[in-house]
Amino acid sequence: MTIGPLKVRDLVVEFIHDGYAIRPLDGLSFGVEPGELVVLLGPSGCGKTTLLSCLGGILTPTSGSIRMGELDVTKMKGKQLDAYRRNDIGFVFQAFNLIPSLTARENIAVPLILTGHGRTASFARADELLEQVGLGDRGGHLPSKLSGGQMQRVAVARGLGHNPPLLLADEPTANLDHIQAEAIIRLLQTLRDDGRMIVVSTHDSRLVPIADRIVHMVPPDQHEERPTHDVTFAAGESIFEQGDSAQLVYVIKSGEVDVIRILADGGEEPLNRLGPDQYFGELGPFLGFPRSASVRARGDVVLTAYSARVFREKVLHKT
Amino acid sequence: MGGHPPGIESHRMILLTFRDLVYRKTRFIVVTVLGAVVFALLFVMTGLVNQFNLEPAETVEQFGADQWVLPEGVSAPFTSVSVMPAAALGAVDAATKSPVVITRSSVAQGDGEAPEEVVLVGFEPGGLGAPQVVEGRAPEVEGEVSLDRTLGIDVGTEVTMSSEPLNVVGLTDDTTVLAGIPFAFLVLPEAQMLAFTTTEVIGAVLVSGELGPLPEGLASVSPDEVVAQTLQPLDGAIASIDLVRALLWVVAAIIVGAVVYLSALDRQRDFAVLKAVGTPNSSLLGSLALQAVLIALGAVALAAIIQIFLAPRFPLPVTVPVRAFWQLPLLAVLMALAAGAIGMRKVLRSDPSQAFSGAA
Repeated sequence: MTIGPLKVRDLVVEFIHDGYAIRPLDGLSFGVEPGELVVLLGPSGCGKTTLLSCLGGILTPTSGSIRMGELDVTKMKGKQLDAYRRNDIGFVFQAFNLIPSLTARENIAVPLILTGHGRTASFARADELLEQVGLGDRGGHLPSKLSGGQMQRVAVARGLGHNPPLLLADEPTANLDHIQAEAIIRLLQTLRDDGRMIVVSTHDSRLVPIADRIVHMVPPDQHEERPTHDVTFAAGESIFEQGDSAQLVYVIKSGEVDVIRILADGGEEPLNRLGPDQYFGELGPFLGFPRSASVRARGDVVLTAYSARVFREKVLHKT
Repeated sequence: MGGHPPGIESHRMILLTFRDLVYRKTRFIVVTVLGAVVFALLFVMTGLVNQFNLEPAETVEQFGADQWVLPEGVSAPFTSVSVMPAAALGAVDAATKSPVVITRSSVAQGDGEAPEEVVLVGFEPGGLGAPQVVEGRAPEVEGEVSLDRTLGIDVGTEVTMSSEPLNVVGLTDDTTVLAGIPFAFLVLPEAQMLAFTTTEVIGAVLVSGELGPLPEGLASVSPDEVVAQTLQPLDGAIASIDLVRALLWVVAAIIVGAVVYLSALDRQRDFAVLKAVGTPNSSLLGSLALQAVLIALGAVALAAIIQIFLAPRFPLPVTVPVRAFWQLPLLAVLMALAAGAIGMRKVLRSDPSQAFSGAA
């Protein structure tokens, strides 16, 4: 088992979608030491799975770097990435993703066989891992004959097949009841204690207490309550830009604003023009998403800025 | 447990392939049976064309001639009217020669039975063109006839030909032309009288060995030319069967291609997971290709059995050539690989990041 540490620096992933750019990851940095369990915490759509795909060498980031020990993952290509995934990474996918035609034992052994390991050694390793995850007597069962928790344990065992130094788990407790989730959490603790690095993406707060480190995919200050205040912008001034983290909701007291979509080629697409008593920018703070458009003052404008909670109580519920 | 890049090693994908075949067995059984029906028809069509090609060669060979002397302008005695004076026999310069009469007639068995079309052959007993009977004996005198076995008439039966009563004394095999028209052999004078109402006319002279120069008005053709000319009327039928065979291959390709494509679609998530853990494309493609090949070979094997029962029920004689039993599986494998290419392309294009998506 090659030992880390894993270092992520200024990671940016940008997709072009329907002509405009979206950035699920924008300048993310964090590190994982050997024997650490790191939880990526955040709501759906905040880029957790995108980050796991980058860490696993499945997705190439737009910029930034991922290093594991001496390996610069972001500089790898083709067969190097195949080898990295084959040797250094274990995946535990959301929804188990076991192959339905293979038994539990074969689900662990077949990926090993297909990646060049001997048949006998692969099955011996599968038996060993099934014992480790407490399913020694279930090796001959098809996934359809296993409970959700058992399937997830087989998925974890499959991820550990080649004894990787880094285990990436995507929502490992998402489809499980609390008893099954507890078993998986205990299993992850044990694996961490073996000196392995584990990165878990989740929006399940039950995983937080066992984490050595938490990476908030949505900045924590976003949730902090800021007092209601008035703010003034001069003509042409930017109120916020597309892709900014969303914290405040604005109600126009006077003046007009233009809502603009910034296109991937740098062009601008006007979306709306708003005037007094109209509001904008509410969805980002409500959903934890970055701004989906830019807003600029058309002339001099005065706005009232609300936190999401206050806006919901004082403005939305009044109307 | 360190991994190393695997080559295309077939044994690595066998378990995955076999398990998937078992898991989706209903689909694969249905497709294999469907494919087997198509391949069985291909076997039969191949046997039909083979029989068309074999038939005149086997028949002409039984006449035992090295050359056929015919009136000039007559290309083959079985497809055109061939008549020459009996005296022409003397003008043919050859050590071994025999006159024959070849014409169309019909034979009826008993009263009320519908007459069946035959090729009437008159021959000199002991000469070239005498029937090689497989049961009974060859006719020796007038009033006797030997018939091709496909007529289903037994030795000892009384038949009539042009109202002449005849006794069946022998049966022959492989004496048919034009997709199954059977031969009836009579001694030459009787055949001459039945065909031309005179013994002064013959149809052809069969020659064995060296043939000298022929007088004007006569020409010689080789047995191969006789065979080729006899086949000519069947060219359209053979071309039609070849077209049907091509269409059957297309149907077989669609069946195999569709099931491989469906399999690729169903297993897209599986392939994404395996790709994500570093499985090379070659192993995954190999698994799908192996599946296509196994379906095709399974269908051909089943078809080889089905054709045993299907061929005798065909109204025309069917002789499946031995070569078809290795050519058809070979072509089926190539076809399966080609037809499965769309499904395999799906595998190549499957994105390993799909492994992260989706619900349970």
